[in-house]
Amino acid sequence: MKDLISINCVKLLIPALFYTCVCSSSVEQKIYVELNQTVPCVRLLNATHQIGCQSSMSGDTGVLHVLETESDLDWILSSGPHPPYMVILETSFFNRSVMMRMKNSSRVAGVAVIVSKTGLADNFSPHTTCPNQNTGVYSENYGPDLANCNVTVWNPFGNGLSYEDFAFPVFALKDENQTQVIRKCYEDHNQRVNGSAPQYPLCAMQLFSHMHAVTDTVTCMRRTDLQNRFSINPEVLCDPLSDFNVWTSTRPLNNSAKGHAADESVVIAATRLDGRSFFWEQAPAAEGTVSGIVTLLAAIQALYPVTQEAPPTRNIFFSFFQGEAFDYIGSSKMVYDMKRNDFVIDLDNVHSMLEIGQVGLHSGRSLWMHSDPISRQNNSVDTEVSEMMDRMRSAAAGLKLTVDHPSVSQPLPPSSFQRFLRERQIPGLVLTDHNTSFINRYYESMYDDAENLNVTYPPGLTPDEQLVYETDAAKSLAEVATLVARSLYVQAGGNESNLNNITADPKTVAQLLYGFVIQKNNSWFRSLLPPEVTKKGVNSILSSGPPQFYIGLGPRVHGPAHSVTRFVQYILANLTGSVTNLTESQCQNPSELSTENKDLFSYFWVSGPASVNSTSEPFCVRASVRLSKAVSPAFELLEYGSRNYSTWTESRWKSIRARIFLVASRELEMLTLGVGVAVLLLSLLVTYFISSKAELLFSSARETPTTTY
Amino acid sequence: MNLERIPNEEKLSLCRRYYLGGFAFLPFLWLVNVLWFFREAFLKPTYTEQPQIKSYVKKSAVGLTVWVAVLTTWITIFQHFRAQWGEVGDYLSFTIPLGTA
Repeated sequence: MKDLISINCVKLLIPALFYTCVCSSSVEQKIYVELNQTVPCVRLLNATHQIGCQSSMSGDTGVLHVLETESDLDWILSSGPHPPYMVILETSFFNRSVMMRMKNSSRVAGVAVIVSKTGLADNFSPHTTCPNQNTGVYSENYGPDLANCNVTVWNPFGNGLSYEDFAFPVFALKDENQTQVIRKCYEDHNQRVNGSAPQYPLCAMQLFSHMHAVTDTVTCMRRTDLQNRFSINPEVLCDPLSDFNVWTSTRPLNNSAKGHAADESVVIAATRLDGRSFFWEQAPAAEGTVSGIVTLLAAIQALYPVTQEAPPTRNIFFSFFQGEAFDYIGSSKMVYDMKRNDFVIDLDNVHSMLEIGQVGLHSGRSLWMHSDPISRQNNSVDTEVSEMMDRMRSAAAGLKLTVDHPSVSQPLPPSSFQRFLRERQIPGLVLTDHNTSFINRYYESMYDDAENLNVTYPPGLTPDEQLVYETDAAKSLAEVATLVARSLYVQAGGNESNLNNITADPKTVAQLLYGFVIQKNNSWFRSLLPPEVTKKGVNSILSSGPPQFYIGLGPRVHGPAHSVTRFVQYILANLTGSVTNLTESQCQNPSELSTENKDLFSYFWVSGPASVNSTSEPFCVRASVRLSKAVSPAFELLEYGSRNYSTWTESRWKSIRARIFLVASRELEMLTLGVGVAVLLLSLLVTYFISSKAELLFSSARETPTTTY
Repeated sequence: MNLERIPNEEKLSLCRRYYLGGFAFLPFLWLVNVLWFFREAFLKPTYTEQPQIKSYVKKSAVGLTVWVAVLTTWITIFQHFRAQWGEVGDYLSFTIPLGTA
């Protein structure tokens, strides 16, 4: 009977233990609420400084407080009784004065910013007022009175927050539901009742974003080298920002022939591919970048058929530069390669240059052509620039646009053209919608999105209908694209009688705009991309939402190429390429076929349009679109402290996460610890006593007499 | 091992070996020497070899103090100034902490 009961007890005990062991994580789930939809601010380093945010290795914990009024700020910084605080910033308070006050305080453990449009100020740009001022063309040796934005402050709304170094973590809360959870926790536990302080237990948040790199790029790369040479377990501390530029040309260029291309005079048409914001990998960059990309892509589509039928005298070279937000990574690399004869053309081949800056917000006003006054002191350059402007004016006269040159002697705005001017005084223009300062009030911020570019759709349209709906922004950008295309054609020596055939297609512009600022996972993009990309799971480049234009770390870390680079590459292949009937294996290795030339063309295996009834039929496209590496020459020359080239690197980290939970007062924690230690000591004491008096205590149980032999 | 059961000559040779071994940049041998033979040298009734053992223990203690002083000074200086030394500090370090200077 006794045995049966004990066996049943054992049988009950084992499954109970099993159950608790398997479900042991449920205790953690009862304490912590993990916040999944957060975006951190990470640390970036250049030759001399570190910027961004850093947390402690085991996260920073603070009692939640929502900053809605000025009195809340005083509570956090001086009068609140439970420091350190984790500040939940309402959108309207995310500005320089509040952040700098918190930076200097020791009572702030971290900041979580609520990202929403309600309460958004009229302007917000975390970038500096004078972007890329040290790596442009203007310096003490070249136009000293034009350098450092002495004449025109390009980004007057810039508060420079992105370039500050914060010792606490800053996260962005983008999901409305999650923000509600946090607010509810705050209202239940941390709310002040009648002006008195709230009582423990209080709601707290812990943010983990420990960055590995410190001080600057020189230190970080030196330590990485030391680790690689001497450590058993080498750890890389930071990675240089890198990706690819995309280029194409109206007449194919031989990719294996580097250096000066004989008998080639080239007009370069360029724009930038990237953007940034305060937070990591968030950069919608609608007016700052997408306007230029869409304009140039539409201009290429308009120009290409005419240049094949009636080729102009000069070749037109289209280039999309990546990394321009970080001291001109892409353009400095291309100019460096041209100088070293490591590129398909060199600087002697370049006749002139037209760059498309921010062109999205001109809205019926005129466009502006910026030129460099210093190089125009040279007569030949001045003549060529004046002729370029006249050609542009006459091309605009046929459209409903006006283009003008700024009346004051003004430097060039921040543009890739400045890097070309550093090497050679090439005649060129930068086309923008702003005369002096940027019209863009949200330059390089999270709020430079579709709404900032006035891309709005009437309600009730399906995604496919929105894809082809021609908004006003699309029509306006199509006009700019037509202007650019016609000016380039005439600039390249084409016959003016063909100009009427060059018109940008507003439908293409609408599709491009939809894909780049609203939703990248649309039917047109899916038809352009290779089948393996469209079929991948959650982490593919075709996830939901608009693409983000942050340059990222490139092929070594993140796969083949950045999503935006691939989109532009495949869109160009679609717009300028020709369909071939090669099979998939032939498309991967076209050099085996005599009719195909791998030096002049690239071959892409694309999905093709999918309709409702049938799946897509992939095919091979031949186009003269190429990628060229966009990594700063400072990393090839190993000059990590370079003043001439970009030295931006991004730190590495182990884990980035956030969670909220309730905390008890310090006194309760100490009491619990004290009681535990006391119990331990007491138990040791009791055990000692019992073991020393063991014979006395347990002698009654023993009855066996000692046997004597 | 239990020093009670060893004859005195062996105790002396053991003490001497530990004393001489400490000169090979091994201050822990001197520490062991001091702690192990302290009772033998100072608290036991006199025997033939005791004066020599006493001298070895005293010399080991002196050497140990010098080592402790030098190491403490160097470690304090290094921990305090490593970040400011930049390149030199990195070359002198075996493991460099992540995320802090």
